[in-house]
Amino acid sequence: MEPWPPDDDHALTAELGAALWAVGPVPEEFLAAARAAFTWRTVDTELALAELTFDSACDAEPAGLTRSAGSARTLSFRGGPVVLEIEVTDAGIVGQLSPPHGGRVSAQTASGSYDEAVVDTVGFFSLGPPPPGPVRLRAQTDEYVVATAWVSLR
Amino acid sequence: MTDRSTTSLVAAAADGDESAWAGLVHRYTPLVYSVIRSYGLSRADAADINQTVWLRLVEHVGRVRSPQALATWLATTTRRECYRLSRLGRRTQPFDPHDDAYHGLSRAADATAPDEELLRAERQQALREGFAQLPPRCQELLSLLTADPPASYREIAERLGVPVGSIGPTQARCLHRLRNCPALAPFLAASATQANGGERDGAVAAGR
Repeated sequence: MEPWPPDDDHALTAELGAALWAVGPVPEEFLAAARAAFTWRTVDTELALAELTFDSACDAEPAGLTRSAGSARTLSFRGGPVVLEIEVTDAGIVGQLSPPHGGRVSAQTASGSYDEAVVDTVGFFSLGPPPPGPVRLRAQTDEYVVATAWVSLR
Repeated sequence: MTDRSTTSLVAAAADGDESAWAGLVHRYTPLVYSVIRSYGLSRADAADINQTVWLRLVEHVGRVRSPQALATWLATTTRRECYRLSRLGRRTQPFDPHDDAYHGLSRAADATAPDEELLRAERQQALREGFAQLPPRCQELLSLLTADPPASYREIAERLGVPVGSIGPTQARCLHRLRNCPALAPFLAASATQANGGERDGAVAAGR
């Protein structure tokens, strides 16, 4: 592997030029969306963030586990002791929250909430089909408040 | 904006300063965009990935330790989301082929491997950051030297009000500063490690 940055002044000048000029302008809608993301900043210290730990769309199935067949996409999120698992089909989202507690769950897009549902006492909930683009679920129970990482569900 | 360090922008943004966030967006959207472009996705997918990455950063910004860590986190997150959406295979209908922007985005997912693309994007980001840390005099000179079409030494000498003969040595000094700036340090360390680790390069290093 060549050492980098190059020792040669001409080579480095050329690379700098490419870096400064060749990327091309970022489209304004990309800049606007990136700036607007900041409105989702939360100062809620109660809120736990559940990171995406599994997505059947791009991760290998855990060994020994047989997922439900068909076209359903399954995703798992984990934040501390809380695990949120969902199955996404054209019909919508069904999910389970554990440890199970009753409460409410809302499905959010970058522009606001698109659906909201009750979480039953064993942690099950169902939501309507997600729109394209990043979505996150925010669940509130008596014991905890958790929000998943943003991810495109379809 | 360019004179605020990434570290101070990150700290201020984590603290709720919206103009600092805008500064980070200004500085790092080219990195995110160049990684996305290398995947040849539709414009809608590209826009969704960009939005996802920045929404994720809102949650993550309080945990960023260094500018290099931020660039790596952004490049890695972007790349992972590109992979996810390419696996979803949604919207198989091509976008409006008359849309110029679409042509720009679909620029062949061809020969260059994603790994190489990612490294190239990170290096370019490091060069842009290093450039932002240079003294204004150096920035001016290097901008003129790398402009397309490039300015001649005579034009540059006139613009900067310096003798033609000083341009070469000044360029060398500015590039020296660029090579030694903090933004490039992680790459120097990386190629040193690889040079020592690789057999062929190891021999070269030993021969020095």
